[in-house]
Amino acid sequence: MRQIVCVSGVELLMEYMEGALAPDVRAAIEAHVAACPRCEAFIASYREMPRIMRDATTIEMPADLEASLLAALRAARGDARPRDE
Amino acid sequence: MIVPAAESSDEVFVARAAAGDDAAFEALVVRYQRRVFRLACRLTSETDAPDVVQETFLQIYRHLSTFRGDALFSTWVYRIATNVGLMHRRARARRPAEPLDEFLPRFDADGTLEATPDALRIPSRVDELLDRHELARKAQAAIDRLPDLYREAFVLRDLEELSTAEVALVLGVEPATVRQRVHRARLLVRGYLSELAGGRP
Repeated sequence: MRQIVCVSGVELLMEYMEGALAPDVRAAIEAHVAACPRCEAFIASYREMPRIMRDATTIEMPADLEASLLAALRAARGDARPRDE
Repeated sequence: MIVPAAESSDEVFVARAAAGDDAAFEALVVRYQRRVFRLACRLTSETDAPDVVQETFLQIYRHLSTFRGDALFSTWVYRIATNVGLMHRRARARRPAEPLDEFLPRFDADGTLEATPDALRIPSRVDELLDRHELARKAQAAIDRLPDLYREAFVLRDLEELSTAEVALVLGVEPATVRQRVHRARLLVRGYLSELAGGRP
């Protein structure tokens, strides 16, 4: 069985999470992580990061922009009819 | 005129819009504008997003007749918005941001993670430690510091929450390439958050 240490497990983490690894590699990672508090902690923070980034960067479109976008597009379309391609 | 979303599929609107029905085009704008705005903010900035959104929909309008329907309309919208965002960044040509490489995880000679388990959990606490505005600013700065290829893949996959297969279609690369780019971005951003919260990568 393939020997997994932290560095190789970290390298394969996304492929592991998406089910893109061969069963023996997958089993080797699971065996390593089960016995490695560092990897367990690392994986927890790796999984948590996208949610933190998503929450921190979600900006709703302002209502006045919704209104002005359609108007701006109407004006711009006047001289930008679809081309026949 | 705004048509309720459930009434008609994207493809029906696209066909009508390509045939010159402006109401159908505007229905597509209304349906996608919030998603495009959010994406544009993440790929550029809140300040630049309105221009990116407008340019994206203009390009969609101009090229409606080239949309063949062999991809989902949403994939096409994300592709155009991503390209417009990238062009917009390049046009700004600001001083290149410092790369994030120093924030990669560190390993000892045996390949073991160097930091302790407690230290490795620190990035998960960044949203408790920083105030909301500060975190918003730093989170955007982290996205800005990613190389273009990683930024696009990360924003689409982890922030817009497209599947890896969808991101692959948007970017025109293999799913394995998406995973590689997103993974690298995750390592870099995770390490950056760790430093923000007072830890190490």
